[in-house]
Amino acid sequence: MFVYNLSSEYEAALIITLVCVIIAFWAMVREKEDLHRLILTDLVEIMSLVIIALVATDLAEALILPGLVVGIAELLALSELYIEKENLRKDPENVLHIEVMDSAPGILAVIFVIYGIILSGFTGGAVAGLGLLFYFMCRGSSEKREIIETVSGYAWACWVVAFIVFMALPQYWFFGVIIAGAGIFAKVAAKMSVIGTMNGGDSDV
Amino acid sequence: MLGLGILFIGGLSTAFPNPKTYVNRIINIEVASFGLLLVMLVYDETIALLTFIAVTAITTFVLVRVIERREAA
Repeated sequence: MFVYNLSSEYEAALIITLVCVIIAFWAMVREKEDLHRLILTDLVEIMSLVIIALVATDLAEALILPGLVVGIAELLALSELYIEKENLRKDPENVLHIEVMDSAPGILAVIFVIYGIILSGFTGGAVAGLGLLFYFMCRGSSEKREIIETVSGYAWACWVVAFIVFMALPQYWFFGVIIAGAGIFAKVAAKMSVIGTMNGGDSDV
Repeated sequence: MLGLGILFIGGLSTAFPNPKTYVNRIINIEVASFGLLLVMLVYDETIALLTFIAVTAITTFVLVRVIERREAA
């Protein structure tokens, strides 16, 4: 897109977005049922992100990323709380299970992880984590959680070492960048694959 | 502007879905998400766009799982 007169456009866009936000919150107020409210929370999150995205700077982009992470964490916590509150511990008898979930996970996970390693850094970790998440979701796992936590701990150590390198030995900054990239890659991937194990240790898949 | 229009329609349809089921609401949220994606695309926010796609996928997974539990009970 070409760049046009941003100020008037920005004001108009902001007004439209605020109307959307008002609609979303109004629907949330009128809603009685908890699960519908949970879905509407997602809608409100999207509207809020649009307000940030309209600023159209790199800083806004950097603000969107933690917003997304916090949003997904909040949604996970709330969904777990909801399941606990309603006593829905009984496993559903018709879990989503299609043929693709038997054949694809291995191949897709490998492709995702390799692509993530090539990307490295935060985005690479997200991509690789998505592959692992898909794998765990389709296969089900219970005993792999300790390995994931160990990897996560080592990644945290890499991250700290990289920052010490930045502070104490600035001439080795490139080494620090590489270590930090690898560390956050492993960290994000591990954390995201933990989400995949949420389905519990059902070994019937 | 197109992105904002789609965002508006998606928000409206998510807020007041016609058959008020959970799945219908999630599908309508995808419409609003597409509006946000177009807004990010116009303003060249690449990393935010990619991360948003990944997060949306996980979100859909989580919500569908909760709904499955809800319907089974």
